Amino acid sequence: MSIELLVQALLNGFGLAMVYVLVALGLTLIFSILEIINFAHGEFYMLGGYITYYAYALFGLNYFATLGLAILTVGLAGVAAERLIFHHLRGRALNAFIVSLGLLWVMQAGAQLAFGVLDKPVPSAFSGVVRVFGLVMSVERVVVTLSAIVLIAALYLFLRWSRPGRAMRAVAQDPDAAALQGVNIDAASALGFGVGCALAGGAGGLLAPLFAVSPAMGALPVVKAFIIIIVGGMGSLPGAVLGGLLLGGVEGLGALFMGSAAVNILGFLMVIVVLLVRPRGLLSGA
Amino acid sequence: MSGPAAGVALIALTAAALPLITRDSYYLDVATTILMNLTLTMSFRLQISTGQINMAHISFMGIGAYASALLVTRAGLSFWATLWIGALVAASLAVPIGSIALRVSGPYYFLITFAFSEVVRLFFNNFFEGLFGGPSGLVGIPKPGRVLGLAFDSKLALYGLMAVMCVVVVLALVRLDYSRFGLTAGAIRQADLVAETLGVNVFRYKLTAFVLGSFVAGLAGVFFAHFRQVLHSSDFGLEPMVLLVVFTVIGGTGSVWGPAVGTILMTIASELLRELHHYEILVFGAVLILTMLFAPEGLVALPSAARRLLRRRRRQATAPAGAGLAP
Repeated sequence: MSIELLVQALLNGFGLAMVYVLVALGLTLIFSILEIINFAHGEFYMLGGYITYYAYALFGLNYFATLGLAILTVGLAGVAAERLIFHHLRGRALNAFIVSLGLLWVMQAGAQLAFGVLDKPVPSAFSGVVRVFGLVMSVERVVVTLSAIVLIAALYLFLRWSRPGRAMRAVAQDPDAAALQGVNIDAASALGFGVGCALAGGAGGLLAPLFAVSPAMGALPVVKAFIIIIVGGMGSLPGAVLGGLLLGGVEGLGALFMGSAAVNILGFLMVIVVLLVRPRGLLSGA
Repeated sequence: MSGPAAGVALIALTAAALPLITRDSYYLDVATTILMNLTLTMSFRLQISTGQINMAHISFMGIGAYASALLVTRAGLSFWATLWIGALVAASLAVPIGSIALRVSGPYYFLITFAFSEVVRLFFNNFFEGLFGGPSGLVGIPKPGRVLGLAFDSKLALYGLMAVMCVVVVLALVRLDYSRFGLTAGAIRQADLVAETLGVNVFRYKLTAFVLGSFVAGLAGVFFAHFRQVLHSSDFGLEPMVLLVVFTVIGGTGSVWGPAVGTILMTIASELLRELHHYEILVFGAVLILTMLFAPEGLVALPSAARRLLRRRRRQATAPAGAGLAP
C-alpha cells in the first residue's frame, strides 16, 4: 500500500470529522453549561439541513448566506428550547435527559409531518476537484471542511474573548461564583444552548448538499458526536476537537480495510477502549 | 406488605379474568403486548431504582430474542430450554458490559450504554447475515412447542404463558423492592456517596441490578421472538428504547406501580394511535416532556402531590402570615 493511499484515507476521514466536531462542540458546550445531555441535538442539525434545502435549493439564496441563515435560525430555536423547556429542569440532569428524548421525538415527528418522510436532495454548490501531491479532494469537501474549521475558530474566539462567551465559561466552571460576580445565569444558559444548537444547525447546512435531507438525518451525526465527546472528555472543547480527529483518523483508515458497517462499529470500540483506560475521556479536567 | 401483595393479586386476577370477557384475537394480542411490556418496564425500573438509565436495556431483550430464535431454528432446541438459555445469555453478557459501563455514572453512563446498544443493533443488522438475517430480519421462528400436554399454538395459550411469566416476574421484583436490596438501591439512588461511606458496596449493587434486569429483559426477549415469529434489528433500536423510557417514567419510578400504570396506559394509547405513526411519536414525545415538566414524579404520584398541595393551601389559609417556613 502506498503512502499516498494512507494520507488520502486520513484526509477523507478528517474532512467529514471536522463537521461532526461542530455537532460535538455544541453538545459539549451545552453539557458544560447546563449539565444536560441533549439527545435531541441531531434534530437541530436536521433543522439546519431543511433550512438549507428550502432557502438554497428551492429559493436559490446564496450558499454562504444560507449557511448564516441556518446558524441563526437554529440558534434561535435552541434559545427557545432552553427558555421553554430545559430552563425548568436545571439541576435535574436525569429528567432533562428524558425530556431531550421526548424533544427528539417531537421534532422528528414534526419534521415528518411538516416536510414529508422522503429524502430531499440538495444540489452541490461547488464542482470539480483539487489535486495536491497526488491527493484528490472534491472542491465541495474542501469548502465544507474549511467552513467547519472557520466556525470552530469563531467559537473559540467567541468563548475566549467576548463578554457573553466569558460569562458562559464562568457559568460552566462554577454557576454560583459566576452569579456572585454579576453574571446573568439565565441569559448565559439560554445563549449557551442557542450557540450549541446553532453549531449543529451550521453542520446540518454544511452537510445537506453531501447527503440528502430527511427527518431522520440527525441520527448519524449525533451518534458520531457522542463518540467524539466521550472519547475527548465531556465538557472539554479541545477534547471534542481531539476526539473528532481521532474518530476521523480511525474511520478513514478503517474504510481502507473494511465495509462501512464495520467502520461504524470501530468508533464504538474506540469509546469502550478509552473508557476502560480513562473513564472520563482523554482531555477531561474533572 | 399488604399493599404490594394486593397489587400483584390485582394484576393476576385482571389477567386471568380477561379471557372470560373477550377471546377476540386482536384484544388478546394487545393484552399480551401489555404484559410483555410490563415485564420489560419492571426490569428497567429495577435499574432506574439505583439511579441509572440504561439505554441498552432493550439490547438485552434483543440478545435473548436472537439467542433463542437461533437455538430453536438452528440447533433444534425446545423453546422451554431456550427460554432460560436466552435469558442466561443476556445475563451473562450483562456481567462484562455492566462492569465496563458502571465504571462511570450519570451522563457518561447514558452515553456508553447507548453506544453499546448501537453496537448490538449494527451487529444484528450488518454481520453474519446468514445467521441473523441482516436488514430483512430473522424469519420463520416457531411458536413454543407442546409441553405438559399443552399446545401453544393459539393466541389464548400465548397470552396465558405471558401472563404467568409477567406475574412471576412482577411478584419477584416487588418482593425485591421491599427487601433489604430495594432499600439499599433507594439509598444509592438518593445519595450513593453516603451509602458508600456506610459500607454499601455500591458497584456490586448496581451490577446486580444490571444483571438481574438484563436477565428479565432476556426472558421477555425470548417470548417476543416466539410471539412475533420475526426479528428485526430495529426492534431493539433507539425508538423502542425511548418507548421503554416513556412507559416507565410516565407512571413514575418511585414505586413499582408507576411502570405498571404507565405501561398499560401507553400500550393502549399506542394501539389507538397505531394507524397514525407520526402522530403517535409526536404525542408520546409531547406527553413525555409535559410529564417531566409538570409531574416529574410520574402520574402515580399525582394524587399524593395534590393532597400535599391542598394541605399546604389549607394551612396557609388558617395560619397567620409569616408562620410558615416552607418555601
